[in-house]
Amino acid sequence: MPKINLKLFEQETIHQLKKCQNIKELDNLFKEIFSKEGELKKISKIIPTLPPLEKKEFGKEFGRVKNVLLKEFERKKNELKEKFEKEKREKERLDVTIPPPKILRGHFHPITLARKKIEEIFQSMGFEIVEGPEIEDEWHTFDALNIPPYHPARDVLSLGKTFYLKGGGIMRTHTSSVQIRYMEKNNPPFRIIVPGRVYRLDEIDASHEIDFWQLEGLMVGKDVSVANFKAIAGEFLKRFFEKEVKMRLRPSYFPFTEPSFEVDISCVMCKGKGCQTCKRSGWLECGGAGMVHPQVFKNCKLNPKEWQGFAFGFGINRLVMVKHRIPDIRLFNSGDLRFITQF
Amino acid sequence: MKFSFNLLQSFFEKKVENPKKVLQALTFHSFEVVGMEKRGNDFIFDIDVLPNRTDCYSHYGLAREIAAICGLKIKEKRIKIKEDKNLKIDDFVLVKVKEGCERYSARLLFNVKVKESPRWLKQILINCGIEPINNVVDIANYVMIETGQPLHAFDFEKIEGGEIFVRFAKKGEKIVTFDGKEYELDEDILVISDVKKPLAIAGIKGGRDSGISKNTKIVLLESANFDPLIIKKASQKLNLFTEAAFRFSHGLDPNLTEIALNTAVYYFNNLYGKDGIKFAKGIIDHYKKKALTRRIGLDWKKVESVLGERITKNEILKILKSLGFKINKNFIVEIPTFRKDISLQEDLIEEIGRIYGYEQIKPKIPLSLLSPPKRNDELFWEKFIKDTLVSFGLTEVYNYSFVSQDDVDYFYQKDLIEIENPASSSYKFLRPSLLPGLLKNIQKNQALFSDIKIFEIGKVFKQQKEYKEEKKMIGAILMGDKFFEAKGIVDSLLKSMGITSFYFKPLDEKKFAERSIIWNPLRSAHIIIDGKNIGTLGEVFGTIIEKRKIKDKVVYLELDFERLARLATEEKEYEPFSLYPAIVRDISVFVPHDELVENVMNLIENSGGNLIRDIELFDIYEDEKENKKSLAFHLIFQLEDRAVSPEEVDFTMKKIIENLEKNSNFEVRKQ
Repeated sequence: MPKINLKLFEQETIHQLKKCQNIKELDNLFKEIFSKEGELKKISKIIPTLPPLEKKEFGKEFGRVKNVLLKEFERKKNELKEKFEKEKREKERLDVTIPPPKILRGHFHPITLARKKIEEIFQSMGFEIVEGPEIEDEWHTFDALNIPPYHPARDVLSLGKTFYLKGGGIMRTHTSSVQIRYMEKNNPPFRIIVPGRVYRLDEIDASHEIDFWQLEGLMVGKDVSVANFKAIAGEFLKRFFEKEVKMRLRPSYFPFTEPSFEVDISCVMCKGKGCQTCKRSGWLECGGAGMVHPQVFKNCKLNPKEWQGFAFGFGINRLVMVKHRIPDIRLFNSGDLRFITQF
Repeated sequence: MKFSFNLLQSFFEKKVENPKKVLQALTFHSFEVVGMEKRGNDFIFDIDVLPNRTDCYSHYGLAREIAAICGLKIKEKRIKIKEDKNLKIDDFVLVKVKEGCERYSARLLFNVKVKESPRWLKQILINCGIEPINNVVDIANYVMIETGQPLHAFDFEKIEGGEIFVRFAKKGEKIVTFDGKEYELDEDILVISDVKKPLAIAGIKGGRDSGISKNTKIVLLESANFDPLIIKKASQKLNLFTEAAFRFSHGLDPNLTEIALNTAVYYFNNLYGKDGIKFAKGIIDHYKKKALTRRIGLDWKKVESVLGERITKNEILKILKSLGFKINKNFIVEIPTFRKDISLQEDLIEEIGRIYGYEQIKPKIPLSLLSPPKRNDELFWEKFIKDTLVSFGLTEVYNYSFVSQDDVDYFYQKDLIEIENPASSSYKFLRPSLLPGLLKNIQKNQALFSDIKIFEIGKVFKQQKEYKEEKKMIGAILMGDKFFEAKGIVDSLLKSMGITSFYFKPLDEKKFAERSIIWNPLRSAHIIIDGKNIGTLGEVFGTIIEKRKIKDKVVYLELDFERLARLATEEKEYEPFSLYPAIVRDISVFVPHDELVENVMNLIENSGGNLIRDIELFDIYEDEKENKKSLAFHLIFQLEDRAVSPEEVDFTMKKIIENLEKNSNFEVRKQ
């Protein structure tokens, strides 16, 4: 009858258990110990053969060892499981520094982005957005705006740089023609802006285009004033450039406004200190403006004694060039994706 | 316009020390200063005098303006003329003004010795951009820059018969001008003539034969006021733009003619009195309707209302007086004749505003009732479409509205609108389509970018029978074999605009062959809504692509923006979805190569009845050997009010297969 040392068995088993590296090894060991043909079963078969005194003692010890081993196995199993999970997770770790694949994104043309901004600002101030035809007649482009044929202003305002179409008609040289079309059909009070393409016969270079964008504005009421224009234009410029810009008005002459002025803004590059962009003057020309001339009201069958208001015309390309420091106006119509995809 | 600071100084009572201060005041209250240059002991100002302010086209006028804005005083020159009592001008000259001339004045100078001018005089002329010629012409020009009135000097002995006419030229009449060029005249051109021939083109340029030469002894000095419109037209017609024509065509004060003549005589006397120069007694002066001062009533409340700034009555009075205007107790303002630009109350308000200073007007937000602006639906949808296309990965471009002959050689030529005076041959026509621009964009960008997808929304132009049409279009171009991507773009775009009742139809070859041949008809489709074509998409013809050196296929899609914007709607109504499970079955069918997928889908749908909720094509396989294609579909069976039973689906599938196989060219693949 072999003498079985349960203590030794316990130690031996725990020793083996500690050596297990994974669940499978542990399971095999478990089977070796606890299965029907396992070590414990073999040991338990000895119990009936023992003398009664030892039987009780041995049985008690056997029970204890069995319980201890079960607990140890459970503990080891959890430990290995956790280790396994941790290793598994570790394998999933991402290298977040890998450069991403290129996601193809569409881009808006910078003029569209500017128009969105302009329209949003003016809409919030109660202005309606109006459009008009690009092929025009001379009445809406010149005569109704108090510029009869041979008027010196046609040359001076470069409105003489008109494209004529075979078989009649011209390309509008300014969006002011839409002022007339709107006033012919609507009664004051009103506030509108007209963003649109205009065309002027010119030599194309870095600062001259034949096909560019203008922003026309018109506000008419009983007592709309120069002070109102200063407030509206100032607010617009501040919100468009997203910074404080100073605005100044200089006397000017347009046949369709009286008084008339040029609108300058403090140079956004140098904040008015003087740089190359503003030719060291600290100011940038932004466009023309003025109070609608009484004759223009009359030409639209509105009574100038009853109504007054301001009108302005800004160059959208120029506003965008200043805002984004674009040096060459030709880029806008170039279709060059190296340019557009920057916006 | 160039001004000498020294000459300006001579008109002020007190000397002005700092020219920069003067320039700054001019910028803020009058005119833009383009530049300033130091020349010797003088400063030359370059000033953009506004085109309606002809009173400042002179040193005297500008000095008067500076005096008003800087609070200075003008020194009045007293001019005394010693005339020769024995030489009466009326005994020598007879002037007959027929037309085109508001005032014609002249003086006669004897014992003139033509020579070089003194240096100081030449220098001022050069500084102001005028070339010195001889003392007579130079004094005339000097008086012009001083007073603003152009003068013309004739050699009196070259005028036949002592008679002068101001008349329109006869057709075919010719004149050789001072610089030796010959001009043929007609009835629109005003001339100064003697009994036989034209002596000068009135207000524009003098004739060679009647001009001042070394031998001239008697000078007839003309100082006239011609009709601005006539001078402007003649100058344009002859393509002859002179200093005098520029001044006359802007309109001058007729009261200047006499002042200028007397100023000239004053200078002739100062410089050449010792040499024995004599001035005939009297002045020729044809001045039928004397220009009078204008009177304008001023409502000072209107001043406040227009400027939006309260300016005191006293301040207003001070400003108007500084400009040389007279004001009575009832605020009736009397305007001197040299201010031809002022005829309305608004003109006076401008004067008050600019002298007061626009920078002093405080901004005020308008207090009118806030009525919300009307929404511009077209612009809303334009923005919506741009947002959608950009979200699909397309980039927006803007192209010129102008195109060249080469750009549009594949368009119907009779529809094209041609520019009378194009900037260059590259911009000869208005674009009939957005395609030419987009093709150029592809050509330009293909070397640097792969996978180019771009679009433009803009106007296209077409000559219709009675009118010229302009229409806003959407154009998009995709580089590569991307018909179905383009179709997907149209499909998603229209659906996002709330348009669902559209379908695609193979291109109508005949209809297109007559007009513009853009798309390959075998690989293109019309987009139809309510039976009308609202757009087209497809592969651009290889010949067009090759000519433009584009390396890959190109798919162009074009949509009528204006019609789409009218059809679009933001209204969306919730549709309840079925709470019952769906059953999905697959079917695949061999059909002839040229069979339209749409036909097969319609057949399945019609056989399936209301049990079929959706059919999805998930695979196409082309078997070129057999000239067949295999189509594989997911069929989704679902009802809204109850669950569908597998038996029902089996029954329906059977029916679908039967119906498909009724066509002997179709073969359903058995699983």
